[in-house]
Amino acid sequence: MLSFSRKIDKTAFRALEKHLILAYSTSSEPQREEEFRVLNLKHVKGQTVQRRSVRKAEIQPPRTTQMPVDQDWGNVWPGPRSFHPATVPLPIRQGYTPTGVAPGKYANAELMKIPNFLHLTPPVIKRQCEALKKFCTPWPKALDSDEKCERFFPLEVASSDYCHSSPTIRDPLARIVSVKFKLGVLGLEGRAKDKFLRLVGERYDEQTDIVTIVTDRCPLKKQNYDYAMYLITALYHESLNVEPWEELKSEADMEVYIWENNASKTSIEALFGKEAKEIENVEQYSQAVVRYMNEGENQYTVEQYGDAVRKILNLPPVPR
Amino acid sequence: MNFSRLFRHVSNITSRLSHRQYSNLPKVEENETDKLFKIMELELKGHDPAVLKSFVKFATTAGNHLDVQSKSWSLRKPIHDRRSVLKSVHIYKKHQVQYETRTYFNFIQFKHLTGSTADTLLEYIERNLPEGVALKATKVELQTLPEHLKSP
Amino acid sequence: MSLPQLKNILRAPTFYRLLSTSTACQKSQSGRYRITPRKDLPLTYEMANPPHQIAHRKTWNSINTSNLEGGLRSSETAIEDIFIRKFMTGTWHALFLSEIIIKRQHNIIRIAGIVRRSVSARKMYFLIGYTEELLSFWLQCPVKVELQTVADRRDVVFKYI
Repeated sequence: MLSFSRKIDKTAFRALEKHLILAYSTSSEPQREEEFRVLNLKHVKGQTVQRRSVRKAEIQPPRTTQMPVDQDWGNVWPGPRSFHPATVPLPIRQGYTPTGVAPGKYANAELMKIPNFLHLTPPVIKRQCEALKKFCTPWPKALDSDEKCERFFPLEVASSDYCHSSPTIRDPLARIVSVKFKLGVLGLEGRAKDKFLRLVGERYDEQTDIVTIVTDRCPLKKQNYDYAMYLITALYHESLNVEPWEELKSEADMEVYIWENNASKTSIEALFGKEAKEIENVEQYSQAVVRYMNEGENQYTVEQYGDAVRKILNLPPVPR
Repeated sequence: MNFSRLFRHVSNITSRLSHRQYSNLPKVEENETDKLFKIMELELKGHDPAVLKSFVKFATTAGNHLDVQSKSWSLRKPIHDRRSVLKSVHIYKKHQVQYETRTYFNFIQFKHLTGSTADTLLEYIERNLPEGVALKATKVELQTLPEHLKSP
Repeated sequence: MSLPQLKNILRAPTFYRLLSTSTACQKSQSGRYRITPRKDLPLTYEMANPPHQIAHRKTWNSINTSNLEGGLRSSETAIEDIFIRKFMTGTWHALFLSEIIIKRQHNIIRIAGIVRRSVSARKMYFLIGYTEELLSFWLQCPVKVELQTVADRRDVVFKYI
């Protein structure tokens, strides 16, 4: 133990001695010494560290330079995409300059903004339509005109679909369904037709004889369609139905004048003493009375009525 | 480069997906009747009339290839939605400026399509709808009168 | 001291401001650039044309259907567009030389623009993937980044004023 510590002491002392000799000796061998280093507090010129040169990335030439003339453009530009000048081999320019030429296609943001149709060139449309054709079916040849369509398919159901650029595909307006049909196809007559028209109200167009039913109160299109069909069914059966109170309709409730039901018929039968059908010229008289009562009193109806009365009573016509 | 391989991969995935989807769906009956559409009318709206014009050309070309009669027209004037605001921050009511957004309209009408043709054509057109164009497709379907509505 | 006066003193202080409801429009300032004395301010084509030239000499930077007649989600679209722009300028720091163009087609959002080739291609691919992934997660719809690169800033300069 003791000898070991002494050994360490010895070696340490020797090293120190060597160091001191080196430091303070009068440089017996200056050639072997290193150059005296200067403490450089300020950074002075000539001390610059060599900068790493930035390696520029190799840029490929535009793709348009390598394109064959007879290439298939549909494969180069398969889908909708923003314009890219290195892919489109056309010398396009876009932009306005007061003097000189418009800016070219490289580094031109205007060309990137506008929606392009480069993926919908005529040959591509043709090719895609050929592929789609197998999903299509031809229109039946027997239904070549609108009249035939109307005769075999009297119901027209219209609804809309919407397509916006938004993450949702719902549009509240898509629920609306309108059903159109001609009133004649239901085959309603007389009282039933009158009741149907009263129930339908303004949804019936007299000029075209078309009933239009628009439903939008349910949230979905299917529900609205079912509701519209339910409405038509309910209207049809309700108008065929005769309620007990409908039988109580008296002459005062009539909305138009009907000659057969009125006092005019009974009085003329009493005057002639026979059935109304057997009286001569009774049609003209009845029509004149109906027109007089329904259209109101004017010069024409009054003259018609006078002529009819003279005719039915066998009086000479008024000289005009 | 690897695009074709990637594309094949994607298409494999989609075909597998679609297969799985279809297996869940109820089977279409063999003798299900096709629908009949008298008219399919597309209303196109956009800010840029040139884009609309190109798109109408595309849609009518697609209709011609699928043997569907079509006609197209446009509204002569766009709809202007104007909004007046003050030019200055606070007062000076005399100095106002107007902003407006214009909506141009174009219409295409296809006539006499069966249900499958209408679905195919409409989907093809809708998928290729450019950005900034809204579409409204109105279909008029022809239907027979239900049995219970025929006069007894 | 009368009672109403005391009430006035004891009342909690209220801060209110009268609002003018008419909208302000910085028409003569926004989107316009002043001429510098040495005429060395670089302008791109987009900057060189003031806002009233939109739809005449230049197109919109956001292309969507929400401002059309009967369009849906106009406010949501505007806010999402601002978010996308802020995200892009921050993520692609000092790389975009053009405005950020946002196109919406169905539910797809396509972001286009011109960037500088100052970062390596590897980093740029990473940025593209990062942007697409994060934006499509936040906006819940597919996002595509379609870029065009230029070697130098001066390539997009239209004129100096």
